[in-house]
Amino acid sequence: MTATTDQRTVLAVRDLKKHFPIKDGALQRVVGQVRAVDGVSFDLQRGETLGLVGESGCGKTTLGRVLAGLEKPTSGGVYFDLSESQRVELDRALRAGQGEDLARLEASHRVDRLDGTNWRRFRRNTQMVFQDSFSSLNPRHLVSDIVGRPLRVYKEASGSALTERVVGLLEQVGLGRQHLYRYPHQFSGGQRQRISIARALALDPELVILDEPTSALDVSVQAQILNLLHELQQSRGFTFLFITHDLSVVRHMADRIAVMYLGRIAESGETTELFNEPIHPYTEALLRANPDLTADDEGFRGLEGTVPDPARPPQGCRFHTRCEYATPDCGWEIDDVVLQLEDTPALFDKLAGVERRSPFDADLEFSDSDAAAGLATALQSEDVPASMRAAIEHVSVGAQKVSIKFREVNEVLLTPRGNDRLAACVLDALPKRY
Amino acid sequence: MSTTSASPPIVGAHESAIRVRLRRMGETAGRVLSNPTTLGGLVIILLMVGMALLAPWLVEPNTPNASQMPRDWGAIAVPPGSPGHPLGTTNTGGDVLYGVIWGARTSLRLSLIVVSVTVAIGVAVGSLAGFRGGRIDEVLMRIVDVFLSIPELIFALAIAAVLGPSFRNIILALAIVFWVKYARIMRAQVLHVKQNDYVDSSRVIGDSNWNIFRKDVLPNSITPVVVQATLDMGNIVLVGATLSFIGLAEAGLAEWGVLVSEGQAGISGGRWWASTFPGLMVFLWALAFNLLGDGIRDVLDPKTETR
Amino acid sequence: MTAPATNPPKTTAPVVASVRDLRVHFKSKGGIVHAVDGVDFDVRDGETLGLVGETGCGKSVTARSFLRLVPMPPGIPVSGSIIFRPRQRCSSCDGAGCPTCAGTGRVVSPCPVCAGSGCDTCEQSGAETIDLLTIPERELRSIRGNRIAMIFQDPGKALNPALSIRKQVAEVFYAHRSDELLVSAGIDPGSGSMPTTLLRRRATQQSRTLESVLLSLPPLRSGRTAISEAADDRVATALAETQIPNPRAVMDRYPHELSGGMKQRVMIAMALACDPDLLIADEPTTALDVTVQARIIELIKELQQRHKTAVVYISHDLSLVRKVADRTAVMYAGRIVEVGDSEQIFHEPEHPYTRGLIDAIPGAHHERGRLAAIEGTVPELIDPEPSCRFAGRCDYAASVCWTHDPTLGPVRDREVACFIHHPPEHGEAPSFDRTVR
Repeated sequence: MTATTDQRTVLAVRDLKKHFPIKDGALQRVVGQVRAVDGVSFDLQRGETLGLVGESGCGKTTLGRVLAGLEKPTSGGVYFDLSESQRVELDRALRAGQGEDLARLEASHRVDRLDGTNWRRFRRNTQMVFQDSFSSLNPRHLVSDIVGRPLRVYKEASGSALTERVVGLLEQVGLGRQHLYRYPHQFSGGQRQRISIARALALDPELVILDEPTSALDVSVQAQILNLLHELQQSRGFTFLFITHDLSVVRHMADRIAVMYLGRIAESGETTELFNEPIHPYTEALLRANPDLTADDEGFRGLEGTVPDPARPPQGCRFHTRCEYATPDCGWEIDDVVLQLEDTPALFDKLAGVERRSPFDADLEFSDSDAAAGLATALQSEDVPASMRAAIEHVSVGAQKVSIKFREVNEVLLTPRGNDRLAACVLDALPKRY
Repeated sequence: MSTTSASPPIVGAHESAIRVRLRRMGETAGRVLSNPTTLGGLVIILLMVGMALLAPWLVEPNTPNASQMPRDWGAIAVPPGSPGHPLGTTNTGGDVLYGVIWGARTSLRLSLIVVSVTVAIGVAVGSLAGFRGGRIDEVLMRIVDVFLSIPELIFALAIAAVLGPSFRNIILALAIVFWVKYARIMRAQVLHVKQNDYVDSSRVIGDSNWNIFRKDVLPNSITPVVVQATLDMGNIVLVGATLSFIGLAEAGLAEWGVLVSEGQAGISGGRWWASTFPGLMVFLWALAFNLLGDGIRDVLDPKTETR
Repeated sequence: MTAPATNPPKTTAPVVASVRDLRVHFKSKGGIVHAVDGVDFDVRDGETLGLVGETGCGKSVTARSFLRLVPMPPGIPVSGSIIFRPRQRCSSCDGAGCPTCAGTGRVVSPCPVCAGSGCDTCEQSGAETIDLLTIPERELRSIRGNRIAMIFQDPGKALNPALSIRKQVAEVFYAHRSDELLVSAGIDPGSGSMPTTLLRRRATQQSRTLESVLLSLPPLRSGRTAISEAADDRVATALAETQIPNPRAVMDRYPHELSGGMKQRVMIAMALACDPDLLIADEPTTALDVTVQARIIELIKELQQRHKTAVVYISHDLSLVRKVADRTAVMYAGRIVEVGDSEQIFHEPEHPYTRGLIDAIPGAHHERGRLAAIEGTVPELIDPEPSCRFAGRCDYAASVCWTHDPTLGPVRDREVACFIHHPPEHGEAPSFDRTVR
């Protein structure tokens, strides 16, 4: 999708982070942070549909909420409605560091720093459709109240003029005047989503964020809603941020896709290309696990392991603990050794303590020397992935202590791969096609 | 393309919002009253409230103070059916029927005042704590915890004793003690309702916090408060009667608890009427409101709410 | 490790369960809802049968009827039967596998009435034949968890949050394998002596308070511990079979400490603990992430191969069922509209509803905005008239579709309930060539 000079960027996200504090103890002290969104950057152009894909815990819902203005970022910025030249200026100013140019742009475009009029403009132009059609409609309000609410809040209409506008909105989503004075519980799931959509469109916003809008619906109803969304975008030119875990849906609806894992974007790019030739192993794993997308004669497979704790994301590449293509440069660290130990009760029970000098360098103390020797042997055996073995720079065994030092690597960042594609992986391409 | 809804037949489009809302309220009321025990409770309440309101016309109000029992020194401890005293008199010549009827008035005043005040304060505090959260929540809830750690009856007793025996002080004591219950209920409900997407939706639309509270949170949180308030209309009278029974109200007051207390001594002598009739009233009042409250809860409880 | 592609047809294997004209209705404020209204299908030994449909089609009620888990009231058992032919361990090889049992380790239990020769009770099959809907509760209890097991959609809700994993999985063994536990503990289950009786009651979790006290005293305490250890061993084995890492550590945990995928594995372990003949899986992976789902599916298929269990797999996801099931039955509004080989149904659906359903799945070939949406919504099913329930949404409906119930009839390799394929004697028949919309 090439940007033309009059292309507006509806949202420019720059190194966005959203952390939630973990409190513990009687005094409720902060002992850690859940790093739900941990450094996300992308642009959303006017008129396009960007799909945000990932499984539970990847941060896509939190990201959606921050972009909708429901939560404030912990750090980083979300910038609203920039012209092409403004966007270029923003990136230049960010590189240069804090300065007058940056401050000026922030005052008028940075979502968490907007003042009165600019905030209103953002608020009116950014709307959201939620997943649960039942809890997104106030059960005590009539449809006319629900869909008319945005118009009332901004005092755009009242009385019979308001009612007529509401009827117009209902008709746009395939409902009608006869539905005006009904309560949400009298409708089916699909119809309730239509009501939600009508409400989101009431103010004719620039951007609509859709958080799993069809995940709770039957397939045939989902088809109706997806068709409707497309029709509305064609006729009214909305920009959609489509958050979902369903790859077939996102392939159908999105122009571009960003795949999220553990708070960061693993890969992004144009939809068809990304599906045909994924670069990031996690993208490939997602595609392979999806029964819709695997060809007829192939089985489909899942992914080993579990999602790591978002309060302690892995070093290097966050996906390395589960990746079948991992290399020695992917961020193997002491935590990986501990994880392996947890599966070996004979050794794990004897582990007395871990003294870390860095995430890559630590001493593991055992209660007897046999266990220490056992670990040292295990680290050189087939029990441990080859790439992890190769990443060990130094192992030494003391009386009851094993000192391990891994190769230190930096965080693996998104790098451009041509054709608007970005991937955060040390590999240039996947070794085999799925 | 129009889709048919799975709802009852679609009525003409000239149905107005008000008519639909009224119809729903009527349906809910109908469901509440379809239960015979609930209906029975409501009937008893209406009778008793009617009695309270019409008291000045049912019996001649006492002078100078209508809420004091009139004394007929010529008819001490006469049994029911005696001329001029259909329900008999107490051992100080007080007309039991007068006590029963004016007692209703006193009870109505007591429960209305206490319930209104406690609901108002409790809902305000609970909403503030639940909606704003953070420090405000912590501070307010610690205050509530302090109040809750003292048993209601003892607390009311202590306050009334300190302030001096008078019915007004009983009202005050009960108000001080009972508001925390509503704060707790309201806070829990607000916290629960806040999790719904429709609250977030209103925030995304850009509505003000006050409007969101008023339109989205409050109406959906208030149901348990209504149920509890109904139950408390009955229970407050019970507690109030208990307090006045043990002597915390003015002697000679035309109030059920006082009457039960005064008539106690006569029971062993076979003069049952002075305690029994007022006691029966307390029982009926509490029972009726409990039946109504339960009936409301059965219908409005989210678990049984029809989708 | 890839999941095996379509298994060789199992159409000749003996039938392990047979649903016959099942009808389950529900009382509701508006009338009687005909949730399941005439469902017939067979499940053969060792196969996976998929039961697919959207919300409200009756698939869950059908599944729960196997073990009489549908609450009655508001449910009304109207008619129909679910015939079950249990298996027993093959005596020739003691479960190891031999020519007699074709390697499965199990043979069909002979009918107690005719000892296998054939009679009316067993419908001339010679096999023990049970109607799950009518047998007494006591007998059903010995089948539940033992010969027929079930796993549910939300493992978080299906596991008791107050009990450790060990206690929950052990319950299965205590309930159905108590004799084996006693034997493993070195106690002869047949002996009538008092200590044995007390221990047997412990193994079946029937100990009263006094008995528990007696059991904690030294002479019996070792017996009690031996039983616990025997149970623990079995629990660990069951958990290990579902590829739970470090089963002994997991046993001591509580459900809330486990991830969704792990909880589902625990449920599968519980279900397969007693080597059931039939496993009913009610949307077991709907609540899981897609990568976890794929692993659980792999696991179920692997375990099925090993245990030779028949599986009824319920889901709303047609693409998933296609990968999982040998045969698929598509349900709509309380009835089966099409049943046959999974791949074939996906490739060449014959019923208009199945066609619409498959075409509604967003595929690479779909132009945006052109997903085939089936118009309208599912009918209410309250006191319905005889008619094809899909008629109101069908592109090809003709007059006969509104007045008569279609029944399943053969179409090439499968069965379809549609007048397009089985035109009525009188009346105008619908046709794929004539669209009415």
